[in-house]
Amino acid sequence: MLIPAQIADDARPRLARGVRLQIDGTTGKSVLLFPEGILELNETAQEILTRCDGRPLSDIACALAEEYDVDLATLAADVREVLADLQRRKLVELA
Amino acid sequence: MTAPRPYALLAELTYRCPLHCPYCSNPARARNDAELTTAEWHRVLREATELGVLQVGFSGGEPLVRRDLAELVHGAREAKLYTNLITSGVGLDESRANELREAGLDSVQLSFQSDDVDLADEIAGVRAHQPKLAAASFIRAAGIPLSLNFVIHRRNIDRLPQMIGLAEALGAERVELANVQFYGWAFLNRAALLPTREQVARAREVATAAKARLAGKIDIFYVLPDYYETRPKPCLNGWGQRYLTVNPIGDVLPCPTASSAIPDLHFENVRARSLDWIWRQSESFNRFRGTEWMPEPCRSCPQKEIDFGGCRCQAALLTGSAANTDPVCSLSPNRVRVDAVLRDLNPSIVGAFDWMPRVNPNKEAAATLDREVTR
Ligand code: SF4
Repeated sequence: MLIPAQIADDARPRLARGVRLQIDGTTGKSVLLFPEGILELNETAQEILTRCDGRPLSDIACALAEEYDVDLATLAADVREVLADLQRRKLVELA
Repeated sequence: MTAPRPYALLAELTYRCPLHCPYCSNPARARNDAELTTAEWHRVLREATELGVLQVGFSGGEPLVRRDLAELVHGAREAKLYTNLITSGVGLDESRANELREAGLDSVQLSFQSDDVDLADEIAGVRAHQPKLAAASFIRAAGIPLSLNFVIHRRNIDRLPQMIGLAEALGAERVELANVQFYGWAFLNRAALLPTREQVARAREVATAAKARLAGKIDIFYVLPDYYETRPKPCLNGWGQRYLTVNPIGDVLPCPTASSAIPDLHFENVRARSLDWIWRQSESFNRFRGTEWMPEPCRSCPQKEIDFGGCRCQAALLTGSAANTDPVCSLSPNRVRVDAVLRDLNPSIVGAFDWMPRVNPNKEAAATLDREVTR
């Protein structure tokens, strides 16, 4: 099994070029739109992506941990997992 | 069954095109009715959004032939649609690229016939390769994400590594290597386009290796040559489930090739009906929706919710009825017809490339076709 390198705390994730985050008027949920594709986001992914505005990963995890009152370590792991998946699909870039 | 919501609209703006590819997606007998106007397309785009559509692909023919293209892109963005342009690139200069960017164009899919200029121009039937290279650089300079689309067939399939190399050199983010699917012009030219079994096996290896090598850099999307498969493609993710096409004269199609492949299906027009009514109520969208219409062996097959019985157009073209199982499926009693094509073509393959270039719709073209079709 391929184990990808972990995304660093100070990495700044943002949407890749040509990728748009939008509310789907039909479902009220968030979707990612990109060339030839649409991805319906679950709540976790949505909460993470709306915060991918240039701030580092550690800040995103802190903000979410505070807002949802959950353990920071668990949350940081979730955030990494979601972002790594989106990065593999070229929907998110790390700066 | 009740209609789900659609996700993507293919807007075929025109059948006009400066190229003459022998696998053109234009219908082989296009009707000569007037193209939809700018205002009519704006209405279609709005109605599509209301119906739930999130993405629109502007295609043709060659959509750049429409002088109102940027205006339509702008209209689509106003309607919050994600906009793709599917183009040959011929006619795209620097100012046009910038105009489209400013209108809000989200991405461009640029077609190439080959990496090799002589072969590319021979396939296109005009000198289009150099202008395409220029178009790619204008798109990059305008900062619009670029996908390269190659239609793969017997004449260019051995150049897959070089074609992937071209995509790398041009800085594409995505490359689609689509084995030609046999509808319309490609169906008429099948004898010249179908690759050999050995070619297909090699190409699959090349594509798989390139996918691994370029992971994270370029997305490689390889469309299988389905005649060589034993299970059909999940065509459209099911008829009338996610996609709809509006053609240049306003007919609304569940599938872009349905108008030529399934002659007994009547299509509704946006000039007479709302998109909503057509999507939900029309006979053409409902005939093959869901699984109720399915014959055996699909009806009692566990795969039926996965591949939806394959492609209706392929069933129509190869078995004479769109309601049959896709004959690519090895469980279909009609699979023998696909096997016969493969068997017939594989021995006599060397040097056979006398295809028929696509011609623009006029009386002469129709006459040529009559001969070809009834041969
Ligand atoms: S029998 Fe029909 S549903 Fe089953 S695999 Fe073949 S095409 Fe698909």
